[in-house]
Amino acid sequence: MTRRVRHALLVLAALVALGGAYTLLVPAPQTASAQSGQAQIDQGRALYEQACISCHGSNLQGAPDRGPSLVGVGDAAVYFQVSTGRMPLARSEDRGYRRVPAPEFDPDTDQGRANLAALGAYIQSVGGGPQVPAETGPQLIGSDVGHGGDLFRLNCAYCHNFTGRGGILGAGRYPPRLEAATPEQMYTAMLSGPMAMPVFSDKQLTPEEKKDIIAYVLAVRGQNNAPGGYDLGELGPSTEGVIAFLVGLGALVLVAAWIGARS
Amino acid sequence: MSSEKDLTGPELQRMSRKELVELGNSLDGVRVAAEEPGRGAADARSERRRRRLVTLLLVASLMFAGAFIWVYNLWPSAYVPPGAPGHTTYLFYTPLLGITFFGMVAALAAAMVLYVKSFYPNEVAVQELEIGPSPETERFTAAATFAEAGEQTGFGRRTMVRRLGITAFGILGLVGGMVGLGGLVRNPWEGRDDSPLWTTGWKPIGGETVYLRIATGDPTDIRRVRPEDIDQDGVVTVVPFRESERGDIEKLRDAESSPDNPVQLLRLPPDTQVRNLPGREDLHHGDFYAFSKICTHLGCPATLYDSQQQILLCPCHQSEFAITEGGRPIFGPAARPLPQLPITVDADGYFVARGDFPDPVGPSFWEIRRGSH
Repeated sequence: MTRRVRHALLVLAALVALGGAYTLLVPAPQTASAQSGQAQIDQGRALYEQACISCHGSNLQGAPDRGPSLVGVGDAAVYFQVSTGRMPLARSEDRGYRRVPAPEFDPDTDQGRANLAALGAYIQSVGGGPQVPAETGPQLIGSDVGHGGDLFRLNCAYCHNFTGRGGILGAGRYPPRLEAATPEQMYTAMLSGPMAMPVFSDKQLTPEEKKDIIAYVLAVRGQNNAPGGYDLGELGPSTEGVIAFLVGLGALVLVAAWIGARS
Repeated sequence: MSSEKDLTGPELQRMSRKELVELGNSLDGVRVAAEEPGRGAADARSERRRRRLVTLLLVASLMFAGAFIWVYNLWPSAYVPPGAPGHTTYLFYTPLLGITFFGMVAALAAAMVLYVKSFYPNEVAVQELEIGPSPETERFTAAATFAEAGEQTGFGRRTMVRRLGITAFGILGLVGGMVGLGGLVRNPWEGRDDSPLWTTGWKPIGGETVYLRIATGDPTDIRRVRPEDIDQDGVVTVVPFRESERGDIEKLRDAESSPDNPVQLLRLPPDTQVRNLPGREDLHHGDFYAFSKICTHLGCPATLYDSQQQILLCPCHQSEFAITEGGRPIFGPAARPLPQLPITVDADGYFVARGDFPDPVGPSFWEIRRGSH
């Protein structure tokens, strides 16, 4: 057995030992079933101490240059930030942008929903703040799409574009597209005002009005608003003008050339 | 051109139609160089086939026209959101209008082209034209006729009458233009110090309280604002409202749609350090600040509110206004601070305006430094 092979085996053994120790020592992610009250809050605290405490502090007070205080943000902010994958933050460059949510907080799984509720309950129990609505999914979609459109143009379209395709802010930041946002995420975003977004309280936009806005966004996003077959990105009149100019005028030129060649 | 033959009435009546056409051509210097019947007249079968095709196209055009009228009047054209019953039917309204209209025009055009190609004779005709100026005789006589007319009517001698006449006709034309364009010209200073460049809908009228009302797009939905209605980091668009306007749909709509009225009411976090501009120290109410939505650069809505940095951004040319510095422009082409509305809270807890904007709203203009007119 050569010296080199012996070294390689030694390194391999050390790696295996390290991995095994890691698996044994680090606790499995906490799971929560349908709990309520103090048990749920305790569950949430455990999740907080795993995923959030290093930046937001042991008492939600925040840490300088790492994370803001979470006192008073409410479980609406927790639901929005964590279910859209914005939190827990892996790299500081990702701050504020939608990513795939952490598996234990995936709102598409039962366990993820329970964990989100527990974490929210803990944050809510400490500082209060805007709360996640009791309704979910289709119950958050209003009936008056037209009024939702009026309100969207009055309150949201400046930043998110008139059909929710996102936009620009100063200093290289941009308001997100609303293509993937679920009704719960839109509702909690309006309530909590994440990142640069302003807060829209229930007195300013009533729950019914928020639901109408959600209905409007769902009605115009995707290819729902493309009676011509394709929406051209819905970035505004410039794209449509360029396409009309190139395709439309190009076709006219070709037809004119064809007529000229025939006669 | 004069005819070389002197033909009398009876002689002309005796001529056939073809002879008359040839005579007319020769009088105009036109010569038919080649002539053959249209393609469709080659044989009876081809003629029948082409005639049927033209008939079919004309009938198709009529049917498309009927379909267009039917779609235009009877197809459901009111908006139906996706998912609701009838959405697909609604989606087809505009395309169907286009298809039927296109069919109507295209079938008619195809019928015309086919008919002309099939049945019009193929003919090459040549017309002799004179090159260069008219013969000298014609030029001299025409000029003399014109001068003689000027002499006989007296316009040549009576210069005063001639000039006045020309002027009168010119003015008549100008009057026509004035009627058309005059309505578009307005004097912005007609109202003196109340002219629209200095004032907005927030200006108090007869001492009546001007409330801040949330703009919802629905003028019948009257919602006055109280401080507790807006959370920290919140922003809401408000327009002026007076109790005397309650129920007056026109005035309520005016207040919402008048371009210099919209104001954004912002609530800053309680511990925000604000350095107000000189003269703007007491325009706000606690953490509530009310700024015009209209950018001082070119009048776009400067409404992208960054609640973390307390900056309003104008999407047109990226002007940024720092709310923590009293609306001062900190980036972009805007040169003046956003006008700030003086606000306070009345005895019932509602926000009210303490007067109009101290600064003119919107883009700058020549007289802006004078302050009044």
